[in-house]
Amino acid sequence: MSVRELDLKQDPPCTSGLGNYLWSDPPDEKKWADCVHCGMCLESCPTYEQTGQEQHSPRGRVHLIKSVAEGKLQVNEQFMDPVFQCLDCRACTTACPADVDVGGLIEEARGQIRQAMPLTGVKGAISKFFLRDLFPHQSRLNTLGSLLKFYQKSGMQTVVRKTKLLNVMPEHLVDMESIMPEVKEPVKKKYKDVKVIKAKGQTKQEVAMLTGCVMDVMFSDINESTISVLTRNGNDVVIPQNQTCCGALHVHAGDRDMGRKLAKQNMEAFKNFDKIIVNAAGCGCMMKEYAELFKEDPEMHAKAEEFSEKVEDISKYLHDTGYEKPKAEINKRITYHDACHLAHGQGIRQQPRDILLDIPGVDMIHMPNSDRCCGSAGIYNITNPEMANAVLESKMKNVPADVEMISMGNPGCMLQMAMGVQKYGRSQKIVHTVQLLDWAYQKEDQTKEGEK
Amino acid sequence: MKAKNQIKSTDKHIVNLAEIVGGARSILYLKEDLVAYDCDGFTIHKHLPKAVVFPKNTQEVAEVVQYCSENNLPFLARGAGTGLSGGAIPLNGEIIISMVRMKKLISVDLENRRAVVEPGFVNLMLTNSISDKGYYYAPDPSSQYCCTIGGNVAENAGGAHCLKYGVTTNHILGLEVVMPNGEIVEVGKDGIPDAPGYDLLGLITGSEGTLGIVTKITVRILKNPEGKQTVLAYFDRVEDGSQAVSDIISAGIVPAALEMMDKTAIEGVEAAAFPVGHPKDIEAVLLIEVDGIAAGIDEQINQILEVCRKRNVREVRAAKNEEERARWWANRKTGFGAMGAISPDYLVQDGVIPRSKLPEVLSKINQISEEFGLRIANIFHAGDGNLHPLVLFDARIPGESKKALEAGSQCLKVCADVGGTITGEHGVGIEKREEMRFVFSEEEIAAQTDIREVFNPYNFLNAGKLFPSPGRCVEIKKELKAQAKIG
Repeated sequence: MSVRELDLKQDPPCTSGLGNYLWSDPPDEKKWADCVHCGMCLESCPTYEQTGQEQHSPRGRVHLIKSVAEGKLQVNEQFMDPVFQCLDCRACTTACPADVDVGGLIEEARGQIRQAMPLTGVKGAISKFFLRDLFPHQSRLNTLGSLLKFYQKSGMQTVVRKTKLLNVMPEHLVDMESIMPEVKEPVKKKYKDVKVIKAKGQTKQEVAMLTGCVMDVMFSDINESTISVLTRNGNDVVIPQNQTCCGALHVHAGDRDMGRKLAKQNMEAFKNFDKIIVNAAGCGCMMKEYAELFKEDPEMHAKAEEFSEKVEDISKYLHDTGYEKPKAEINKRITYHDACHLAHGQGIRQQPRDILLDIPGVDMIHMPNSDRCCGSAGIYNITNPEMANAVLESKMKNVPADVEMISMGNPGCMLQMAMGVQKYGRSQKIVHTVQLLDWAYQKEDQTKEGEK
Repeated sequence: MKAKNQIKSTDKHIVNLAEIVGGARSILYLKEDLVAYDCDGFTIHKHLPKAVVFPKNTQEVAEVVQYCSENNLPFLARGAGTGLSGGAIPLNGEIIISMVRMKKLISVDLENRRAVVEPGFVNLMLTNSISDKGYYYAPDPSSQYCCTIGGNVAENAGGAHCLKYGVTTNHILGLEVVMPNGEIVEVGKDGIPDAPGYDLLGLITGSEGTLGIVTKITVRILKNPEGKQTVLAYFDRVEDGSQAVSDIISAGIVPAALEMMDKTAIEGVEAAAFPVGHPKDIEAVLLIEVDGIAAGIDEQINQILEVCRKRNVREVRAAKNEEERARWWANRKTGFGAMGAISPDYLVQDGVIPRSKLPEVLSKINQISEEFGLRIANIFHAGDGNLHPLVLFDARIPGESKKALEAGSQCLKVCADVGGTITGEHGVGIEKREEMRFVFSEEEIAAQTDIREVFNPYNFLNAGKLFPSPGRCVEIKKELKAQAKIG
């Protein structure tokens, strides 16, 4: 072989516009047109950090997705690996100087892959169980929740410990034991017959609330806290009964048809409300991006955009509309973990921190790289356990040693971080930001009552 | 787990290389994975490598290199792949030796102000690792968030703050290098500056990966300046802006950084992720930073404000706080990537000119832009005369990539013609090979390829980079020699 000069090769122009993407709703060319391959995203990417490999970096993935459209690659097993190894954490979107929507491209590419290669085997069974058979069906989720409760109550604590739920079901602070509720039933079920949960005092605004699937079954007390904080601050809360799973897990997994179905149902369920409050970052981010699912349906697209405007994370809503500053002290050292879909997905970073800082007695400790993914990423930790564990390990290294609680705004992160606490022999309690605010309010009320 | 670490290829070279680096997790050889390595930050040329290997230590690098050299396989080293001149593009289907898994900070010696890093260690991480102790690493290419120090050494990277502190080569105290035959050598042992004998450190730094592969680097670290202040100045005429630059330097001030952006560049950064609200109708913005002993800073800032006012500045002010300062810099440092917001592709050029020639050069670049029908944005390390024209184009339009390359080449011609040169910090790579002829005669080029031959006699290491294609018999003879070895 001789060392020779290669003539300047012209990239072949895109022939069909879609290249080797054969199905509808392909990755959007406009999204990758912004990528100039500068590499500023590399260090933000948890999977690049672990592997050092370009195909597992945002820039590399965009390059591969583009190469399929250009007809240079096929949608096959080898293409699937980098696309599905992505955590969809959106850290690259924050890092990108040109605002390339890598997350959106990944989700669209996954949609193509799932149609080209339907899942089989164990992974297929797991995905199908979670995505088609479990999450869209509230009653089944509730059954699962009841089983969990049964385990707890029947003394089968080892089972509970093995599922690492102990750290999650907040074992409350000793001094708050009396005021904190037992594990409750899902709020959607509980308030089935309540049309409006009235504000305490004068009503400022009426809001609808997404109860979520994981949130309402495993963390119904967080939903209770959300309701309690909202009503305390002058909001009437409505829980539309025909709401369903937000579809984030489905869209992350490439099941965009199911995603569209769920989106439509939710848009219908919430159509009469001006504000939709969400306390799970992943759900909020998804609902703000419903329009992405309807690129090929202008009418639905417009509706979805209108709908998304109304969706708001609880922390931002409280921050923007104002809330009563709690007076009781919570004397705890707390660090805050930025859920990817809050920080990178919705640009919400300061609001939850401000809420925590407004609680007297809270000692906020900075967590380095607080907006680095914890590895939960929907059901990623179930489908890609090896990478999820590696990502979790590097996350846990950043959790300051002497904090007592880690606060965050997403149920997936809470489960994953609880697992991290357990696995690495740490002692932190995992809490939702809104829970801390609620506890402070409750403590305040209790003190007042004691004074009477 | 085991299955995943097995090689699915029957190619004996793939199997043997995998053995050296420890299995399938440390080698890529399937097309879908390799596509991600077909270019670096320079995207106009693309070529698939034969494989990518990920060595963990110097020994593995040496073994891979020795294997490649014995089996006549062309090879090259790659860091983060953020280079802008194509130095890490496998033009000849090379084996890419990726250095990113060698990313340890080996030691920090504050007393003697030096640190030892592996080549895959990210530039900014070094500063982040020592900043709490009051130290930093000075060379700050705009890609410092992700580029590796190994790559910085290969390209002799510069950056906004190199005006006062010098480029990478001024901060390298020692290197461990794997030679193209697999031999491991140390240059500048113990990090003592100015060692006797030829300045091999200087030769290897900036050799664009053609003389050897750096596997360990001793760098100089600096104490944080006591104080720091940044000024932003808007000008309605480029002439006034560039005259202000000259005046600042003539006033005896040595700013830590002195940056300029023109109207099109401002449009780009304002449309992108880190806008700061620059006025749209402004012709030039200057970003001027001074640092040093806290006591002198205010006086320098006042002097700078005064100079700018004398040159008809529309608005000039110092940063209110660290947050504002950081925003101004994020806006500037992401400037190249930001072009994605106003154009699907860009080609960045890297000319150096005497500062006084700036208005003349910019107007010639404008002419080139009009002639080719391509927009050109200018980002300029004004203090040291390092100009970055960014040619905006759309590679999907047939012929436009080629046009962009020609326009870029013309810009460099202009720089060379006014007494400047064709690269300040990005390197020659593939991109500016031919333009080397603007500044060197055939004899001068041959003298340099003779040097390369001492280190890299068969040219298996990163061939086809840095110098124009063989132009005379000496080069052709070398070519024949290389072929004879292969044959």
